[in-house]
Amino acid sequence: MLRIFRGAGLSHRFARETGGLVVSPQPVDTLKGFGVTFKQIFKKPLTMQYPEHKRPVYPRFRGRHRLWRHENGLEKCVGCSLCAAACPADCIRVVAAENTAENRVSPGERYARIYEINMSRCIFCGYCELACPFDAITLGNEYELAEYDRDDQIYTKDMLLAEPIKKVPVADAELYDTPIPYYRAHS
Amino acid sequence: MSAPELVTVTIDERSVQVPKGTGIVETAAAAGIEIPVFCYEPRLGAAVGACRMCLVEVEGMPPKPQAGCTLFAQDGMVVKTARTSEMARVAQNATLEFILVNHPLDCPVCDKGGECPLQDLTFRYGPGNTRMTFDKRTFEKPIPISPAISIDRERCILCYRCTRFSESVSEDNQLVAVNRGAQTMIATFEDEPYTGAFTGNVTELCPVGALLPTQPRFEIRPWEFQAVPSVCGLCPVGCNIDVDQREGKIKRILSRNHPEVDEGWLCDKGRFGFSHLYAEDRITDPLRRVRSRGLEEISWEDALDDAERLLREANGRIAVALSGSETTEDAYALAKLVRKGLGAHTAMLPEEIGGGLDAFRAPLSAIRDAELIVVLGEDPVVERAPIVDLWLRKARRAGAEIVEIGPAGDVQIAPGTTARACRKLKSGELGDRLRASERAILIWSGGGAGGGSHLAALATDLGFADKPGCGAFFLPETANGRGVAEAWAAASDDEGPEPEPLGLLIVSGDEAAANPNVRALAEQAERVLAITMFHSLAVGWADLVLPGTSYLEREGTYVNVEGRIQRLRRTAIPPAPDELAWIAQLASRFEVELSPSPSLVFAELSERVFGGVTYEDLGEEARLPDRVPLEAAPAESADEPVPAKAPGGTLQLLRYRPLFSGAAVERVPELQFQRPAPEIELSVKDAKRLGVRRGEPVSVRSNGTSVQLRAAINKRLKAGVARIADDHARDLHPTVEVSK
Repeated sequence: MLRIFRGAGLSHRFARETGGLVVSPQPVDTLKGFGVTFKQIFKKPLTMQYPEHKRPVYPRFRGRHRLWRHENGLEKCVGCSLCAAACPADCIRVVAAENTAENRVSPGERYARIYEINMSRCIFCGYCELACPFDAITLGNEYELAEYDRDDQIYTKDMLLAEPIKKVPVADAELYDTPIPYYRAHS
Repeated sequence: MSAPELVTVTIDERSVQVPKGTGIVETAAAAGIEIPVFCYEPRLGAAVGACRMCLVEVEGMPPKPQAGCTLFAQDGMVVKTARTSEMARVAQNATLEFILVNHPLDCPVCDKGGECPLQDLTFRYGPGNTRMTFDKRTFEKPIPISPAISIDRERCILCYRCTRFSESVSEDNQLVAVNRGAQTMIATFEDEPYTGAFTGNVTELCPVGALLPTQPRFEIRPWEFQAVPSVCGLCPVGCNIDVDQREGKIKRILSRNHPEVDEGWLCDKGRFGFSHLYAEDRITDPLRRVRSRGLEEISWEDALDDAERLLREANGRIAVALSGSETTEDAYALAKLVRKGLGAHTAMLPEEIGGGLDAFRAPLSAIRDAELIVVLGEDPVVERAPIVDLWLRKARRAGAEIVEIGPAGDVQIAPGTTARACRKLKSGELGDRLRASERAILIWSGGGAGGGSHLAALATDLGFADKPGCGAFFLPETANGRGVAEAWAAASDDEGPEPEPLGLLIVSGDEAAANPNVRALAEQAERVLAITMFHSLAVGWADLVLPGTSYLEREGTYVNVEGRIQRLRRTAIPPAPDELAWIAQLASRFEVELSPSPSLVFAELSERVFGGVTYEDLGEEARLPDRVPLEAAPAESADEPVPAKAPGGTLQLLRYRPLFSGAAVERVPELQFQRPAPEIELSVKDAKRLGVRRGEPVSVRSNGTSVQLRAAINKRLKAGVARIADDHARDLHPTVEVSK
């Protein structure tokens, strides 16, 4: 039986003892390890080629925000700033204004003239969604929010109201789409 | 005053000792227990028990909930609040449910949301849910009850705070409740705008979002404000204010209760006047006169070079016109620059209080406690120092006797004879009563800048110096006239000759820039350097214009009508560096040592005139300095020249500067409706003689100028006198002819 050696000094001594010929101290284990590696060559890989392929996220994954409209086209947001008040990262800025007959943006008296989320500050806790009394803001599943410029991380109201832009081409749309969760498929 | 009798009251098993007659709400507060209220507000007079939020159970009283706000502490009383009494808890819960029956659920849209007592108390005492499934009562909303205030009747809970304010504090009786029962609503007569000097206070009193100011409408939410404690600088009272700003811009001003100065009230000029900071013609860069093009913008480096050149070229032949709206520090800095650095000692100072009155110093709240008050002068008190008018009304309600001596008053005198009337008070029946009274107040409101000295002489004669309840107030025209005068005097002891001819006139501030006397002086000056906030005040006469800042944009101190030194803070980011910053830079070019930091300048100044007090000593609620005993009898300044009696058929013109006037008010759209109507006030006798009825157009003529005005009849006005606001009396001479 070969002894188990630890450390460089020992391997030198081992080389000396074996007459200068350097042999792995664990030839069997080494081969075993290579065996595992070779076996994977013939298996389907677990890694995905991002960004061509994307792993689906859970349905309640909290990603990029979205502002919503009513069916008649008016914005749900009334500019109450409760999201900004709830935000622990202080990344939402709301400046409200009054609806007029000529410029009706939301139902009721008040609308958000400016609605900005600083995505570089956001911690995606979802408190804004919880605080919103009108379900005007939700967190979506998009997580690709990298930008070349920090200023571009400030999302304006128009950006948040629109469909998220998929900046990265997706090779397999089927795979990218959120799968039907187990609990829903089996109930 | 003897110590009031103490009684022991038990509130929720806690025993507390309070003076007899204390309200149960205050008694509970003394015991550390809250009784929630909506309508209760001690400053509005007797409690009315309208909202029923304060229901408590009282042992020994009928077995039903009692309105706590209407009860007073009596010995042995046992009160149970909602904490310990199921009856009170259920009653308060039901009260809130009942209030909310018709209250709309628009908290996210409502500007009050976040600082709303109804929201807070519902959260703590109310039902978590609603049982009401029917539609709520609706009204048209929001309706402006004036350009500055809007009303949302759906939100109103009919606590009657606003109508009580209108009825028994400002006593204008304009806000009333119309209709009955569920249809009751707060309104003004025939939907006329709610006009008056104090209307804005109802927005602060309203416990829900029914009465809201229109200026910050939807611009901010209460939790986004940064409140900066400061002092109002638009009149000599110096009301304490909280300035709410968001993102560096002022959004609204609230009162900050100083019980000795303003008691938590604020006039509309102080409350709504801030938006002049954002006027379109605000100067943000230094301007230099260019012959062909008027004024051109220049950099600050060039401006300081220009200013230095102007000051050197004038060679000491410099005069300074001060506004009285500068901070004490700014005035001191400017004075030190021109007096120490350039040897120029000539200044046009604003109306001065005169140090003699310090011997009779009293807080403004002394007016409330007085039994006899004499108001001398030509201007209505409300136009000069509006809060003093509220104190006078409060005194009158408390039973004080108020004697007004002036062209429109109880004792009618001719314009220009106020000093004479003041001297007459030393003897006579009224004088004797003033001398005998322990709580008498003298107020001088307009009619001669020497009023302070006349008043001091009278108060000395009446022996006010030894009576702490007695006081004498001179209401000056400007907010900090006193501080500016003291700062000017403190800068140097030297005196110099009048500059002849005048080389350079430095005009500091908007009031000076708008003053016709200063304009006349500028005609004689070779050069004019103006420090002003607005283009229209600078254009056409100034060679160099440096942007001014407002009282809301600088650090410093103001000295108010009582002689109280109060601290101003920077509440908004000014568009240009403040005066002190560049005066200090300019001073260094003339080898004058001057710090750009207001606290250091104040420390230097305070050593000389304020006995070494520091900003820390002033604090946020400034204390009134002690009386300064008079060393010698005050020197009385000469009487104002009495205008010649109007010849037959003509009237003597009495001008006054209205509260809602001046460079700031002109630039606030919400205050335009408050500016005086184009009216001429006539006495009953003259109106009858001329055959003029109220509201009829008349033409007012003098020396070739003519103005068309509406006639108003003032029953208190002396015959032979016509009163017109400065805004409308423009070029009229002291004697006018009035005809249909």
